[in-house]
Amino acid sequence: MDIPILKIENFLVVTIQAEMSDDEILKLQEDILSRIKEVSASGLIIDITALDVVDSFMGRTLSNIANTADLLGAKTVVVGIRPAVALTLVELGIRIKWNLNTALNLEKGIDMLKRRIERQGAGGAF
Amino acid sequence: MSMDLNKELSLLFEDYAEQLKEQWISEMKKLGFLEQVSDDEIEKQFTNLYNIAVSTFKTGKYDDVEEYARNIAQKAVLQHMAVDQIIGGMLKLRDVYQCFIFEKFKDDERLCNLISACATVINKIVSIKALAFVEESEKEILQQQKEAMLALSIPVLQIRDEMLILPLIGIIDSARSQQIVEELLNKIAEYQASIIIIDLTGVPIIDSLVANHIIKTVQAAKMLGAETIITGISPPNAQTLVNIGVDISTLITKNNLRTGLRLADEMLQK
Amino acid sequence: MSETEKRISIKSSADIITARGVGREMAKQLGFNIVDQTKITTAISELTRNIVSYTGKGRVIIKKIHSDIGKKDGMEIICTDKGPGIESIELVLKAGYSTSGSLGLGLSGAKMLMDDFNIKSKPGKGTRVTIKKWLR
Repeated sequence: MDIPILKIENFLVVTIQAEMSDDEILKLQEDILSRIKEVSASGLIIDITALDVVDSFMGRTLSNIANTADLLGAKTVVVGIRPAVALTLVELGIRIKWNLNTALNLEKGIDMLKRRIERQGAGGAF
Repeated sequence: MSMDLNKELSLLFEDYAEQLKEQWISEMKKLGFLEQVSDDEIEKQFTNLYNIAVSTFKTGKYDDVEEYARNIAQKAVLQHMAVDQIIGGMLKLRDVYQCFIFEKFKDDERLCNLISACATVINKIVSIKALAFVEESEKEILQQQKEAMLALSIPVLQIRDEMLILPLIGIIDSARSQQIVEELLNKIAEYQASIIIIDLTGVPIIDSLVANHIIKTVQAAKMLGAETIITGISPPNAQTLVNIGVDISTLITKNNLRTGLRLADEMLQK
Repeated sequence: MSETEKRISIKSSADIITARGVGREMAKQLGFNIVDQTKITTAISELTRNIVSYTGKGRVIIKKIHSDIGKKDGMEIICTDKGPGIESIELVLKAGYSTSGSLGLGLSGAKMLMDDFNIKSKPGKGTRVTIKKWLR
């Protein structure tokens, strides 16, 4: 299953459409990161509205993507986490730090990215 | 003191009766509760109920409520009417009243007291009705209805675009707090809210389990993309939060609902 | 009894998805709410992934259970493998511990998401993890 990586302005938008096997997730991670490099994207939005399960593997992978993207110069926002998924993740990882930025939907995700990049451009720290 | 507040509320509810009743009925219709009822019948029933509520606020006496509850319970059990329809109606009226109070008194320092006075009266009306049902019906309430009732009894109010307020009132046990967490998170997604205020003014005491649920709510809400402001933490409750080892610096708190609301407005404008 | 008990053999990461699907379907049928469905499905995901990552091969049984004492229904998930076993159960139950490089929340995570958790393991023989969730 190939997941399309769309480019909007200077951001990449990835919409995960169905449950993915571990291999597919890892392939997606590679695709995203090479695409960020290719187009010098400044932001990445991952929409996971379609996911009704996010286990620790998926959580870690998302977190990895965000950290690596950061090193490549792109900020990441995850959008569309479902309420039940959020609650489960909190129970799961009550002691781990969830280092992803999240927004309710795509629109707010884009807003958030723009604000973050603006602030960074102005020399401010997060 | 609360007597005066109730009287003041009753006068307001009388003055704005048409507007509030209309809003109430339309909210109930939205919930799909009134589909098989004619408009005349709706008007009659809701006017009756509304007047009973107002007079309860005015007199502080619950006799009318009790009589009404006994009647309706008998009828409902005979006609297999859903319990949540009748209890839910009352709770919806509470939401309508509370939203109204928020708008009217948002800059008044009695806001918390008025909200809590309103909730106290309506909650008592609800419990009288619920009791009548239990007495009337030997049957066990189905799990589903119980859940629907609980969900309805959690007052998540949308006060502005993107802002929700959850005024918690009374003793909260662990089972209920779990339900509250789930309901609140669903509402955040439903209303696409980016700021939530959880007001604990009306909660005398929370145990560590409930405190934990509140912290989890804040974290889960954040994961959805919403910030939480907690207002009205009493000193003993603050102590509980510290004792269970919550990093208070990660919480946004304000001492009362009014200042919380102000902060929320500022945050929304950013 | 066939509708209330399902067995799935776990060999690859694709089987994790199958097991999750079966678990969610049963949780839904039993009347668990959406949050509990998600917790159960996630716990199944954590445990079956453990099988795939550490031993490569195992089996999961997902079934409906009833408690006469508590007068309640629930769901039980039993994951077994014939892998190397676990030396120190205490250690792996600590959140954050991991030998395979995931978040290290596999076992401890499954434990936190469920009502009951039981693990039996013999080094060299294999491991069996049993988890339960009761309807509220």
